[in-house]
This record gives sequence, C-alpha cells and structure tokens, in this order.
Amino acid sequence: MKNFDEVNIGDTLGPLELTVTKDQCRAYAKTSGFGEVAGRFTDEAAAKKEGLPGIILPGNMSLGLLSKLVTDWIGFGGARLIRMGTTYRVPVQPDHALTIHGFVTNTNPDDRTAEIDIWIENEEAERLVTGTATVEFPK
Amino acid sequence: MVDFDPTIINKVFEHTDPVEVKPEMIKRFCESLGENNPLYTDPEAAKTGPYGGIVAPPSFAVTFRNGRHFFEHIPRFGRRGFDAGKDVEFVAPIHPGDTISLSSHVKEIYEKTGRTGTMVFVVIRSTLTNQKNETVAHIDHRFMNRP
Repeated sequence: MKNFDEVNIGDTLGPLELTVTKDQCRAYAKTSGFGEVAGRFTDEAAAKKEGLPGIILPGNMSLGLLSKLVTDWIGFGGARLIRMGTTYRVPVQPDHALTIHGFVTNTNPDDRTAEIDIWIENEEAERLVTGTATVEFPK
Repeated sequence: MVDFDPTIINKVFEHTDPVEVKPEMIKRFCESLGENNPLYTDPEAAKTGPYGGIVAPPSFAVTFRNGRHFFEHIPRFGRRGFDAGKDVEFVAPIHPGDTISLSSHVKEIYEKTGRTGTMVFVVIRSTLTNQKNETVAHIDHRFMNRP
C-alpha cells in the first residue's frame, strides 16, 4: 500500500515485464466486445489482410496494462488512479517481450496527487504506447 | 482550417441501454490482463479494503461497448481514421451489480501539422453513468484522420 508521503519525483514504477499471448489478446478482445467487430485483434489472416504483421493488441488492452502498472504500484490501498491518457504510436504485438515503465514526474501536496509518465516498450526499446496518469491519495 | 458543421459539437448522438456488470465479467477481464491485485480479484480480502468489496480495475471502464451506430457519427476527413489514443477520467469505481450506460458526443475537432503532414483529430467523449445516475467515467477517444 502506497502513501502520499513516501512518493517522490523520480520514483519508478515497475518495470513490468511480460509477453501477451495471442490467446490472451483474443480473451481481452472478447471481454470488451471487440472480437466481433475487429478481426485484427483475434484472427491472424484478417490482421494480415489489413497490412498488419499479424494480430495486434486492442488499444484498450495496452491502456489496461498501463493501468495495471499504476494499480500494482498503489497496491492494496485507498489511493486511486483518477486519470490516464494514452497515445498509440506503434501497434503492439502479442508474443513479443514487452516492458512497461513508469516514473513520477510531479507531486502536488495540496490535492495529494502524483503525476506519472508511463509507456510500453518492445525488445528494441521502442516506445509503442506512451501516456500519463494521475493518482490521488486519501486525504 | 478543417471544415465541419459546428452544431455537431457537444450534441449527444447516442445513449446506450444499461449493461449490468456481472462478477464473471470482472473476473474474465482480470484474467485476460493477468490482474492479481486482491482489490479486484479476492472477494474476502477486498472486504477489508477501501471499497468494502471487489471493484473492477479502473481500465474496465473502457470496455463498455458503444452503440451499433457509434462509428457512423464520427466525422471523417479523408482516409479512414484510426484510434490515436484515449484520455480517461476515472470518476468513481465500478462495482459488481452496477448497471452502466454510455452517452457520447463530439467534443472537439482540430487540425495539427506534424512531420508526416496534416492530421485532423476528432475527439469523441463517452460518459459512463451508473444506475444511481452518477458519472463513473469520461472517456475521450482521439481519432486521427489524414485529409
């Protein structure tokens, strides 16, 4: 559990190292109802037909993984992820080693919030998805 | 400057029927993301947490489906737009048993010129409301078009 008083600018979150399997990607697409609309998240042939190298992760799944980095950092406590912004720069592929990073860029004692930069990297340290998050700590 | 009908801004074009959040939906969502925080996965442990029981992970908010005609209401400029990113405000946690409906409007349209040429961004805001008519989240979808 994370308290506001122990958060400092420059603190790092994670890194979270993971590989999303194609099945996980399909499972996510299914939970959010995207599977029916977009074959590029579930079907290898459909994705290639769109000019993609194969199945890609739904943008929302990347957002979910970035959100998990932040909520893992918060742990079992009352601090809350209250805002997240993402930019999808390069499609994220399953079966590739991904690393999810974050660091605290600012803290605001008045409203007990922390600003965090977050991003997903591939094996070549290329930033596929970048974003920012705000966490609010209990008063 | 990009040309569009200004009266579409802020006009709600869609309001979806409420969807009940079943515990299995949260469970499956957590599994697909490898989620293991007891706040979202362990009903017993979550009782002692800040919400008095399981809640959905914040990013569950982006999984609610827009209505069937959602994409027809997104203004297009040139080639088909793609999902450039999202800005989400998580206003309140989503609890199992909540019923969530979603209403959407065009929030803004703006042009940007970068290294790769001119881009037109269309921002659609979807607001999630629960059964008590409380706002749960605002989701700004950023669609990028190349005219």
